[in-house]
Amino acid sequence: MHRTEDVLATLSMIRQHKLDVRTVTMGIDLAPCASPDITVLCDRIRDRLIHYAGRLAAVCREVESRYGIPIVNRRIAVSPIGRIAAGQKAEGLLAVARTLDAVAAEVEVDLVGGFTALVQKGWSDSDRRLIASLPEVLSTTSRVCSSVNVGTTAAGINMDAIAALGHVLKDTAERTRDHDGFGCAKLVIFANAPNDNPFMAGAFHGSGETDCVINIGVSGPGVVKAAVEDLVAHSATKPTLGDIAEEIKSTAFRVTRVGELIGREVAARLGVAFGIVDLSLAPTPQVGDSVGEILQAMGVARLGGPGSTAALALLNDAVKKGGSFASSSVGGLSGAFVAVSEDQALARAVEAGDLTLAKLEAMTAVCSVGLDMIAVPGDTDAETLSALIADEVAIGVINHKTTAVRVIPVPGKAAGERAVFGGLFGEMNILAIHAAGGSTEFVRHGGRIPAPLSSLRN
Amino acid sequence: MSSYIISVTAADRVGIVYSVTGALLDQGGNVLELSQTVMRGYFTIILEADFPTPRSPQQLAEAIQERGKRFDLKVLVTEVKNGRDEPLVVGGERFILTVLGDDSPGIVHNIAGSLAAHGVNIVDLHARVDGDRFALVMEALIPHDLTPAAIRSELERYGKAHKLEAFVQHESIFAATTEPSPVRLGSALRSQGESLASH
Repeated sequence: MHRTEDVLATLSMIRQHKLDVRTVTMGIDLAPCASPDITVLCDRIRDRLIHYAGRLAAVCREVESRYGIPIVNRRIAVSPIGRIAAGQKAEGLLAVARTLDAVAAEVEVDLVGGFTALVQKGWSDSDRRLIASLPEVLSTTSRVCSSVNVGTTAAGINMDAIAALGHVLKDTAERTRDHDGFGCAKLVIFANAPNDNPFMAGAFHGSGETDCVINIGVSGPGVVKAAVEDLVAHSATKPTLGDIAEEIKSTAFRVTRVGELIGREVAARLGVAFGIVDLSLAPTPQVGDSVGEILQAMGVARLGGPGSTAALALLNDAVKKGGSFASSSVGGLSGAFVAVSEDQALARAVEAGDLTLAKLEAMTAVCSVGLDMIAVPGDTDAETLSALIADEVAIGVINHKTTAVRVIPVPGKAAGERAVFGGLFGEMNILAIHAAGGSTEFVRHGGRIPAPLSSLRN
Repeated sequence: MSSYIISVTAADRVGIVYSVTGALLDQGGNVLELSQTVMRGYFTIILEADFPTPRSPQQLAEAIQERGKRFDLKVLVTEVKNGRDEPLVVGGERFILTVLGDDSPGIVHNIAGSLAAHGVNIVDLHARVDGDRFALVMEALIPHDLTPAAIRSELERYGKAHKLEAFVQHESIFAATTEPSPVRLGSALRSQGESLASH
């Protein structure tokens, strides 16, 4: 018999503190679909997606019912389309995107990621065409998500691609002006992108993966926050930060185990491989499901103030430690997301003027992913956006970690005005960019920032 | 070999287990399985013991009472026919059923009745009242031809009428979150999974 206290503790994680499986993401290799004939290519993509993912929604519902654990999102990540559709012209790429969009709707997944180019060292004509197609793709499809990996520690940083992406963001935002530039929320620009990330918009099915795999994104900021609050409120003596780290670690263990159980069961029922559990704490706009609130529970009353980075570092490390003991199949990003518009506490800190872009950039040095879901003024020029991307990518490349940028220039709106993306994407006040417009010449040099030295790492 | 199920109840004191098992040893018995707990100051034990030759249940009960005279033991001895009774209940998958909320008379009775009507076998149950709050945690075998959702909605219906929350969840969830051993899937899935062809 399980101890009543253990049962009630687990139950309370699920029922009261919003423990869920945030994403079940099926990764599908599309390499066998390649064809110069666009009709053949799209037909093959459609057949392959339905072959593997046709039962995904039904199986997720079965597993939800069996375990009583909500599976919030079902998603598909495909091989980088930059490679699969190499040689296709703009209209061909759009046809592929529309095929992905339609099949995603048909198999009842909410997003499909992998309209992706990996251009960290250089870019082919195909990659250029794919990046050029993004404004059209992101503004005319509803489920297709895109990512571009523009730098790695081994290869350096492709500044030509970053310069182009500044213009892509401007164009995409303009085409989705009615929705505060929301199209940009479906594009993630990466450094050191992992091959097995189940979180959108940056998910794709990387090289070195099998035909089809189930990756799991667990979340649970609410569970971690509740554990920290409980420890602080009920300890006989004031807990040290070491005690808080221990509490987070053991909570992360339990959260990860739930993810692995669900992932393995979904994979087994579908007869496909189980991949990884991503330990990331991903917020939602709901009160109580916030990474920012965890930092507040630790005692950082004003998010963005001194101590915020250290608290985030503690949180991130403790989550990784607990998760690593829970599962041998940990991967993806595995860290706390500071997705500003999606996190009520962070969005409020922006509104109060406590959390600035500079502080957010500093915080990304110790967490996943990076500058995430950040609204900036619509009149920001493309080169400034590129420079912002380059800064964040540089943090990842130099520090051997994944970083990313998901930034949204909101057309017609200025710093301090409200950007509303809706649903899980939330809303926030638009952040000012300090000294915008001052880096144009730097970005226009283009070329590649060389890979960093791996020794002398002080 | 003759086998007996023996249960003993008394106000809790130090030395009762020593006394009961000593009596069985005196009679040539060997304990095969034993479960003991103390609830609100009352001790209870249930055990199975084997004896090389048949014994009278009454004689065994008296021997236990005599050895534990100072504890004023209540003893019940039942002979296991043909070595071990065949189980009369169907199997199923093990789920944890939890009921929480306001206390009122008859909760356990009514829930047990609901489960019995569906052929759900309760294999372990712990319930307690703290103040006016009721908490029940049970392990139950839900037959393979019954979905957990059916039991869940049955309990939820009852819960709504009595200010109770009811949850039905697979045992593996609790094993995964409280035990460091490798994650295990449900037994039904293991057999199903073996027959799945990979793509």
